[in-house]
Amino acid sequence: MRKKTAATVLASTLLVMGILSGCGSKSAETTDNSGNKVTTISVWGMGEEAKSLPKMAELFEAENPNIKVEVQALPWDSAHDKLLTAVASKKGPDVVQMGTTWIPEFANAKALMDLTPYLDKYPGLKQDNFYPGSVQTGTFEGAYVGVPWYIDTRVLYYRTDLLKEVGYDQAPKTWAEMQDAAKKLADRGQGKYGFALDVKEQSLSFMLARQNGSELFDAAGKPLFNQPAFVDTVKYMNSFVENGSAPVDLGIDAIQGFRGDGVAPMFISGPWMVQLIKDQAPDIDGKWATAVLPAGKDNNFSSLGGSNMSVFQYTENAEASLKFVEFMAKPETQLKWMELTKSLPSSKEAWNNPVLQEDANYKVFGEQLKTAVPMPSTKQFEEIAQNFLSSFEKVYRTKGADVQKEMDDFNKKAESIINK
Amino acid sequence: MKGFTSRKAPYFFIAPAIILLLVFSLLPIFVALFISFTNMDLAGLADYSNLSFIGFKNYINVLSDPVFLKAIFNTLFYVIIGVPLVIVTSLGVALLINLGTSKIFKVFRVVYYLPSVTNVVAVAVVWTYLYNPAFGLFNYILESMNLSAIPWLTDPTVAKLSLILMALWRAVGLNMIIFIAALQGIPKSYYEAAQLDGANTWQQVTKITIPMLRFAIFFVSITTMIGWLQFFEEPFIMTKGGPLDGTMSAALFIYKNGFQLSNFGYAAAGSFILFIAVIAVTLVQYRVQAKESDY
Repeated sequence: MRKKTAATVLASTLLVMGILSGCGSKSAETTDNSGNKVTTISVWGMGEEAKSLPKMAELFEAENPNIKVEVQALPWDSAHDKLLTAVASKKGPDVVQMGTTWIPEFANAKALMDLTPYLDKYPGLKQDNFYPGSVQTGTFEGAYVGVPWYIDTRVLYYRTDLLKEVGYDQAPKTWAEMQDAAKKLADRGQGKYGFALDVKEQSLSFMLARQNGSELFDAAGKPLFNQPAFVDTVKYMNSFVENGSAPVDLGIDAIQGFRGDGVAPMFISGPWMVQLIKDQAPDIDGKWATAVLPAGKDNNFSSLGGSNMSVFQYTENAEASLKFVEFMAKPETQLKWMELTKSLPSSKEAWNNPVLQEDANYKVFGEQLKTAVPMPSTKQFEEIAQNFLSSFEKVYRTKGADVQKEMDDFNKKAESIINK
Repeated sequence: MKGFTSRKAPYFFIAPAIILLLVFSLLPIFVALFISFTNMDLAGLADYSNLSFIGFKNYINVLSDPVFLKAIFNTLFYVIIGVPLVIVTSLGVALLINLGTSKIFKVFRVVYYLPSVTNVVAVAVVWTYLYNPAFGLFNYILESMNLSAIPWLTDPTVAKLSLILMALWRAVGLNMIIFIAALQGIPKSYYEAAQLDGANTWQQVTKITIPMLRFAIFFVSITTMIGWLQFFEEPFIMTKGGPLDGTMSAALFIYKNGFQLSNFGYAAAGSFILFIAVIAVTLVQYRVQAKESDY
């Protein structure tokens, strides 16, 4: 009987201890050995780049011994949900990486701190350190909520050897040349295509429409998606599928189509592909290059994207968080980040570095950045872009689709989303 | 004191489960009902003063949304084709396994049950590769037999059937175990009496086994139907609702609108319509099928 009671007492003590340790809250301020206050800030990062964040955190901690940085890496698909929970519970990170397309909705929900009052104390965050397009992505209704961290723009990746075979010593420079080159490449034979048109990429059509002269929205904010400039862009995109120069439902990704025999030797994407191609397709080393986008009727503007760093509105460690964001925005830190992740720095001064001036691919990106414009920063844009993808799917999956009618319907849907 | 504890003891035992049920199941249902009458979105989530009541507007918009109507049609497709398939397949497998007496049948029980213990997300990722049009195993086998490749996940109707196939593979195991247990509960005396009267195996199965399994069939059909009305993980992982919303299910529609587009009020209205549908179907099933057990 005694053994039984002893066992019960032991078990229940363990149980209670477990419950209490779970209930205990972690305090953000502790004292280290020398009696100084140590602040801990939590930083949320997403995507591949977040895996390199801890190294930068170590450098920051070396310079600031009384601040500890805890990095949490989140995959992109679950990051949006986690941010929603953080907004609802008012408990979240101190510093958070924000994709440029997410800033409008979270800034509208007042989840991101306006940094304007702190610019004098932290001059590294000032807007003129960065490209105007990037600053635009971090500004919402006058509030400066995101400091540009790294930027990307889209350029054309192409197989130099295969294009030479069909008579193109340089990359196509206009829409007409693009269609011609793609058709010639597709004529190589059965199962061969010219251009891997990405039908899941939300920004592609809007980027191309700007090249064709479309303003996307008029001065009053009404959508212009059924006007000729936009409709002709959709017809241009559909032409690749119609004449067989772009694959549909092939089930292979861009690099698998790019290497070897070159099932799809041209595609449009961002700077992260450079390292991925070098890693996954070493057999085509020296046989591929990047080029600025072919020009439409008006221009060859590309889209400017990337990530910004924001401070969570409900943080309790504002000063430490701002120090960290300023550290990440310094040109030296950005160049170190570029070494680690091959992503492009947002600081104008960093671009004067010889590495960026001399490498062939970086030169192309630098050239394209001069004419890169971000996507419209309205909070409904994500929903409008998703609806475009559905409308475009109807277009390219139906033979002889009525593009004008689909775009009329899409325009009506966009109007109803904006007027909600 | 003794009388008090022995009278109230049962309530203490069921209290944890009831509290969890109330807090995590019933309370959110009422909150969702409330949200469905507002225009809650991300801004409303951050600051409740941004909310405003819009009455039944969400419900009207949801019922006139062509994507939602397609999602309902797809969900009914999954249920009407999938649930009978699950019942017939698991019952058939259970009957065959029960007929055998050697040890090998015990092994087969484990083999058929294994898919049920797998994680649906991991399995969905693997099956996406099996169905891949260029590299997938299924098309590879078809082409090595000189048959044309099937557009498993790229044709709207075939995609639905592919998802049903995968979910069926996972669902057979658990239901088969339920049927085997029920089968072993049928008294052998019935079969012996039938054999004395000269019944063959087929007549024994249809006249004795299946009527005696009525309760098990009722249980399996109700749980399978409730589960398949909320068909979510397979289209979410494998096709994301595509192509052309051909595999969009009601639950996936709610998720897309609620969590990806942050239209919480709209999604809550959709989820309530699904809730009412599931309750209605379950009540109808009860009326039609529930009868007292025969022994």
